[in-house]
Amino acid sequence: MHRMKRRTLLQWLGGVVGAVPLRTMRVFAQPRDLTDESVATLYEIAATVLPASLGATRVRATADKFVAWTRGYREGVALSHGYGHPRLQRSGASPVPIYIAQLAALAAEASARGARWPALDLDTRRRLLDAALTKANVRGLPARPTGQHVVSDLMAFYFRSSEANDVCYNAMINREVCRPIAITTKRPRPLA
Amino acid sequence: MPVHETDTLIIGGGITSAMLAQKLAELRPGRKITIVEAGRSIFDTQNRGRYRERAMEYGEHPWHDDYIEDQQAAGIISMTMAVGGLALHWGGACNRFSEEDLRLKSMYGLATDWPIEWAELERYYCEAERRLNVSGEPSPHAEDRRSQPYPQGPIPLSYNLQILKTWAERSGIKFSPLPMARNLTPSGGRGACCVYDTCGEVCPSGARYSPDYTFRQLMEPKKIVLHDRTLVRKLILDERRSTIVAAQGVHQDRPADPIEYRAKTFVMASGYCWSSHLLLLSANARFPDGLANRSGLVGRFMNGHSFLNATANIDDQTFPGQNITHSLISREYFRCPTNRPFVRHDTRVWESSAGRDPRLRAPGGALLLGDELMADWRSRTKGSSVRLRAYVDVHPSADSRLTLDPSKKNRYGDAMPKIEHRLDDATRAREAATRAHVQGVFATLAKASNGRIVNNSEGDYLDHPGGGCRMGTDPAASVCDSFGRTHDHENLFVVGAPTTPTGGCTNGTLTFVALTLRSAEEIARAS
Repeated sequence: MHRMKRRTLLQWLGGVVGAVPLRTMRVFAQPRDLTDESVATLYEIAATVLPASLGATRVRATADKFVAWTRGYREGVALSHGYGHPRLQRSGASPVPIYIAQLAALAAEASARGARWPALDLDTRRRLLDAALTKANVRGLPARPTGQHVVSDLMAFYFRSSEANDVCYNAMINREVCRPIAITTKRPRPLA
Repeated sequence: MPVHETDTLIIGGGITSAMLAQKLAELRPGRKITIVEAGRSIFDTQNRGRYRERAMEYGEHPWHDDYIEDQQAAGIISMTMAVGGLALHWGGACNRFSEEDLRLKSMYGLATDWPIEWAELERYYCEAERRLNVSGEPSPHAEDRRSQPYPQGPIPLSYNLQILKTWAERSGIKFSPLPMARNLTPSGGRGACCVYDTCGEVCPSGARYSPDYTFRQLMEPKKIVLHDRTLVRKLILDERRSTIVAAQGVHQDRPADPIEYRAKTFVMASGYCWSSHLLLLSANARFPDGLANRSGLVGRFMNGHSFLNATANIDDQTFPGQNITHSLISREYFRCPTNRPFVRHDTRVWESSAGRDPRLRAPGGALLLGDELMADWRSRTKGSSVRLRAYVDVHPSADSRLTLDPSKKNRYGDAMPKIEHRLDDATRAREAATRAHVQGVFATLAKASNGRIVNNSEGDYLDHPGGGCRMGTDPAASVCDSFGRTHDHENLFVVGAPTTPTGGCTNGTLTFVALTLRSAEEIARAS
């Protein structure tokens, strides 16, 4: 009898869940929170996909905020129905089960190479992430996490943020922060 | 059947309803004003900060259950049906039309004239601006003279908009800060703007006007009675006369128990879609084509403005995210000389990050990670993107219609509306020339600061729609008079957007409110 290796199984699961719409996933959905193992892998991958220049503490804090985001996710909530050509849409099933499978698949890829994720060289990490995103049909950086792939969602979570916008421009723009309107009349000050 | 007696029944709970109720309560204190709104009240202002966060983080709609799933129209621009209406989440733009909008026929031989003088409408613009506490700067064009100052000075231009104003005005075209119904200091029970910058979704401080505040202020001292979640399904005609005697509806929780509202005066303040819809639904033996519809024009001449967009790249440096919802406006092309091909439009300028947002892959396809992605993003932030848009004056044909669609019914069996906009022959004949003109203006703007247009696009719907019950002096060519009083029923009024014959070339809400405030005086006299 053909025995599927654990790594192969996880790779297969990662591919399958990435291809199944969130709503369809409801019938399989079980975990509401990322597991300790998946969070550990998320931390490792965050160090690769988020800017190292932020420093390890901020990278870790961003990953923690992303984990908190997954906990705050609500299923079946009406999404913005738009203007011009409105339509009713609802949030799909929690992305957590998908994320767990995808993180496990990525961890398995590293494990198959005899290492944990941080020990892989950058080219290998890039190749593995590229393959995972391609398999999940991720074409670009989403505007916000979509449940398509945990890596692109983590990247969107950070790079689409007000904080990242400030880092990019090296300016205290504070795009999403409530602030006195007079502040906006001045050229934003550089980040300290 | 429960029967409610009132002096004035207002059907619909949006911005024109709020303004009408407020003014009627002032003009006729003690008269009973009842407002019936199909959607629910969403008065939990204390939660709006959290709703905004959820909207930004998860894409959730910040106005929970602000729609009725089976009470929707094909071709409508928003699903919102709640107390406050679309103005719960409007951007707050408060531009005036210009005299040309009222004189299209006599000046250009196009469309039709409005049955109202500009000088008179201008007085009501001032009143509308006062009630909405509009922040604005007088236009640089002499033709835009005002009889009263704005109640607030202009919204301070962000650093970005200061840069863009300097850039845009190198073209010789003058720009002003967009007038907005946004509090700079607390006023009217609403807070001051603190640049949450989500005006078009939800304003946690209440700085951007929304009608729910007005309704609450009128309800607490019992100046009005508000029945929400109650859908008016039909207006009932007097057996012998052409007056309306009742409106019949149903509360969402008691669908088998119809409610009747009896009033001296009935006002349709249900917006451009649901006003015509109710009149058509109320057909009877004497008005087989719908109430107020002897002219056959209810649901016709549905209007709005088309729009053209562009993105320019310029060398001047801005910092996207300072005040995304504010913009510059030029009224340079509100006036078209009568000896030139007709074209009218506003011109708007916003800060933008288009084409300069973070991306996952380099142009060659390589996956960008961490600092590489940040470096790639940063390398594309030199200079600025600028968002440009023009609302273009286009005119509806009689076939621009709202009709009842018998294939789509709500839970009560009422046919739902279908809106199909059509432009008149003259508008279609000049479409190419209009597009060329507007794109030429965009190109002229772009030339400064080494600018270039990087893309052009067109909207595929008409924005700020109106019409369906157009006003006029001739009962054969219009549904109501300039006060919104229907020609066929002396105690039935239509106010706001549905009464507009044409859609102008800039945001319509202030005009809808100004017209309603003018109607309010006639409605008060009639009540």
